[in-house]
Amino acid sequence: MIEFLQMVLSGIAVGSSYALMGLGMVLIYKASEVPNFVQGEMALLPVFIAFMMLTSYNIPYYIAFPATLIFAFLLGCFLEFGILRRAKEPNVLGLIIITIGMEMMLLGFVSWKFGADQRAMPFPISSYDSIIIGDIFISTLDMLTLVVALVIMLSMFLFFRFSKMGVAMKATQMNENAAALMGIKTKQIRMVAWGISSAVGSVAGLLMAPILVEPYMMWDPMLKGFSGAVVGGMTSLPGAVFGAYIVGIVEHLFGGYVSLEFKSVVAFVIIVIVLCIKPSGLFARHYVKKV
Amino acid sequence: MDMKRDYYEDVRIFTSGAVIFWTGILFLLLAIFPFVAKNYYVYVVNYMAINVIVVVGLNILVGFTGQISMGHAGFFAIGAYGTIVLMTHASFPFLLALPCAGLIAAFIGFLLGLPALRLEGPYLAIATLGFGITATQIIGKIKMFGERQGLHAPELAIGGWHIETDKDFYFLLIPITIALVIIARNIIKTRVGRAFISIRDADIAASTVGVNLTFYKTLAFAVSAFYAAVGGGLYAFVLRFIEPELFSMFMSVTFLTMVVVGGLGSIMGSVAGACLLGFLDIQLRNILEIPYFGDWIRMLSESYFTLTGASNIQLIIFGLILIVIMLFEPLGIFGMWIRSKKYWLAWPF
Amino acid sequence: MKKYLAYILTVMTIVVFGLALNVSAEEGITDTEIHVGQWGPQTGPAAPWGAVARGTDAYFKMINAEGGIHGRKIIHHYFDDAYNPAKTKAGVKQLQEDIGMFAWVSGVGTAPGLAVKDYLMDKKILWVGPSAGSRHWLEPPNKYLFNTYPLYLGDAELLTKYAVEKQGLKKVAVVYQNDDYGKQGLEGCQHELKKQGLELAIGLAVNVADVDMKPHIMKLKKSKAEAVLLFVGPGHVARLQGTGKAMKFEPQWMTSTTSGDHPLMMYITKGLYAGTISSAFGLMDPKVGTIQDFKNPTLPAMVKFYNDGYKKFAAKEERWGSTFAAGMGYVEPLVEALKRCGRDVTREKVVAELEKIQNFKSSMGNVSYKPFDANDPLCRIGQQEVFLLRAEPDGTSTVLTDWYKTEYIPSSH
Repeated sequence: MIEFLQMVLSGIAVGSSYALMGLGMVLIYKASEVPNFVQGEMALLPVFIAFMMLTSYNIPYYIAFPATLIFAFLLGCFLEFGILRRAKEPNVLGLIIITIGMEMMLLGFVSWKFGADQRAMPFPISSYDSIIIGDIFISTLDMLTLVVALVIMLSMFLFFRFSKMGVAMKATQMNENAAALMGIKTKQIRMVAWGISSAVGSVAGLLMAPILVEPYMMWDPMLKGFSGAVVGGMTSLPGAVFGAYIVGIVEHLFGGYVSLEFKSVVAFVIIVIVLCIKPSGLFARHYVKKV
Repeated sequence: MDMKRDYYEDVRIFTSGAVIFWTGILFLLLAIFPFVAKNYYVYVVNYMAINVIVVVGLNILVGFTGQISMGHAGFFAIGAYGTIVLMTHASFPFLLALPCAGLIAAFIGFLLGLPALRLEGPYLAIATLGFGITATQIIGKIKMFGERQGLHAPELAIGGWHIETDKDFYFLLIPITIALVIIARNIIKTRVGRAFISIRDADIAASTVGVNLTFYKTLAFAVSAFYAAVGGGLYAFVLRFIEPELFSMFMSVTFLTMVVVGGLGSIMGSVAGACLLGFLDIQLRNILEIPYFGDWIRMLSESYFTLTGASNIQLIIFGLILIVIMLFEPLGIFGMWIRSKKYWLAWPF
Repeated sequence: MKKYLAYILTVMTIVVFGLALNVSAEEGITDTEIHVGQWGPQTGPAAPWGAVARGTDAYFKMINAEGGIHGRKIIHHYFDDAYNPAKTKAGVKQLQEDIGMFAWVSGVGTAPGLAVKDYLMDKKILWVGPSAGSRHWLEPPNKYLFNTYPLYLGDAELLTKYAVEKQGLKKVAVVYQNDDYGKQGLEGCQHELKKQGLELAIGLAVNVADVDMKPHIMKLKKSKAEAVLLFVGPGHVARLQGTGKAMKFEPQWMTSTTSGDHPLMMYITKGLYAGTISSAFGLMDPKVGTIQDFKNPTLPAMVKFYNDGYKKFAAKEERWGSTFAAGMGYVEPLVEALKRCGRDVTREKVVAELEKIQNFKSSMGNVSYKPFDANDPLCRIGQQEVFLLRAEPDGTSTVLTDWYKTEYIPSSH
């Protein structure tokens, strides 16, 4: 039983970072209707910027981390405004390829600037401490991730519910033309969505960084976040969070009880099962296509 | 000039004398190429031809039927392993083992097509991506497939013809490639192809006019899996050693990239996309050897970046090329071709 | 007339010189140059291992700065293959056919190496020191392929032996990367445990892309392993040790040479690596009980390479690490054989000289080869000895054992 609880708890811990990545993907999918393959690298570059600020320039945490998030926001805005928006008569696959291209460029840039070696990121709390409840362990870093993820989710909920910008964003996603007619600057809204998504992803990146920083660190979380988002329905923010936690927990239970080797692919099996039952994911309203 | 007036004009292979002429020239060039070019370039062309096979097949699925797949490295792996295992364990001759491996992959593609019937867009993307990753994981567990230690390709001989050098392999590979490209074109031009296209454009409308969605969607998966597997079987003999890690997600993504950059729904576009990106993929490693540009990059690396990471400029250039092509032409290379053709046909107006 | 004479003389010299070049005939070697090729990933997930190629480059530049080998400079061509065998094959073919390499050295990775092995061996081109401890190089042995990397099997054997005999730990577990390298670690450990009459506590596979190590630690904890052999890359070692620490699981960690760069490991684990026992195949002086500092080498060859090679020829951000330094170790036997050859160098002569090498003290252990025998995999193994180090908190290493000759286990299939 203890073992089971531990697995579930570890699953929730790792699910939190998947959830942040998944939230970022859903934000962008709702804004630009593209599965965003640059999500991981949009967080990677800010993580390395933070690393550079902390180690090369000795900037304290309370300046470096907010500065990183602002940088991430601007990066996201730039990718939308400077590149994606320039696409002429885009189709979905074309947009996917553009995000893959951006992913390669950012990854190449990071590896060029920082080299390929693994690095250790200074961080205010140690990733080696843990909180022990009975026989169950949860590391303080995981705890922090969980708390931060919850705070972000809550603030996003509040943002979409009560802020003018958030409501405008929702309106744009529901019906872009109608929103534009109501005087909402839909293009600007889309750009901001990218910015927010990038910042949320970077939070996940920063929370993964204390364990190890290397250029290819964001691929796995990005894919798992994507999986979680798809399980949840790809257009629903709570769905993405829920899906990410399902993926995290099932992964751990599967790794613990069935096979460790196939742990990393079990997420995709969940997806196929879920999608066979509900083709648009758990939380999305099923979209009925008209002829 | 491009107007089709009857069915025969639409299905015939050569639409005009000019096409016959240029195709003849192309075949001639392909025939003399290995005798004039350096052996290395024969190898590069072999590599490109394998990409052409896979990408043409993938385009039937992605470009013509409108189903995305990010897991074709899985079929590629099945083809590579299937061919080698059929040859070594069942002592099939190569020319039998290759289509058999293709048929096995086609069957698996059919199975994958079943859940895919209900999925589309990002849902299908992630499900197929998962298939690609899972396939290599499973292969890595099978003893007969050498587990994680990999497999060596056996000697390749057809009848009394021992295929050893790149040049020999070229003469085996290019006819297969040409045949498969022509077959793909014919599939598209016939009833099956029209069914695929109708599914892409409006699947509900297609089903109301009598297109069997289940049959044609799974068929598209099976056909493209067959193509990928044939490509994989040939690839095994280019490398002569295969292991599961080769068939990574990056490979699947690269195939998809080639389809889209070449031009969705165009066979010749796929050929062009596979050739261009295949060539870049293999040739960009020499980018720092380019006079002036390479020195400039080194200088830049020394002052602002790292010299040890300077090779990563490859990734940046590759990404840039993808972005630039897709930004300006959603139909990729094929779109550019159409546009320039129109321009010159209408010139000077 | 005098003017014309000068022209004629010039033309004649060029012709004679050109002919002389053709006469010397052996590919990749002229009167002043020896062309040597190498591949190594500079991009992609395996890029950290690319330092091997840059190390070899600095070593050759150091030799050239000292006048080369018998008046010949070594021209080193290395390229980035991104650990993709298709690219390795392309690069090898291009360099071999366009410029002509006299020999190939090192080359990171089993899969890239295997993609070009047949090509090089069919053409009878020398290949020294593949940078992967794989049995594929020896089964079957090839006349022109000389191994210098001790097999990963041996690392696992010695680590297990040490844990069981010296430390009295009976429950040994292995966490292995899911490939040829990791599987060898598992096999070596099982082999040694069997000899000791023990059972493996648990063997866990890690996929290269895995990031989350909690399930692994839970299973290790459940198995009550006292010593855990880590046959994974440095990144995974850091993740496993970090997760282990957070879950209060701190066995005797042991790593293979692949994660044996103590200063790096101490840095990326933020000190957790201290106390870990790693195997090593050189680059240090294995005097039992002494403390060795990788950053201040004492081995004469290493001191020289550090001062004359690394400091002068490496890029300014290059880290002085064991991966970089190993770039020298893999090629030392070739350089030695070339020196012994004298001025008259052909591939056959170099092979003959390499075969005569016995107990050659390279910076990576004592290298010996035997005359070629198609049935004896050991005739090309080069060296089979490893020793053990313990990481100290300040990044130095304590030598735990002397050179230990490991047992060769033929692969089962």
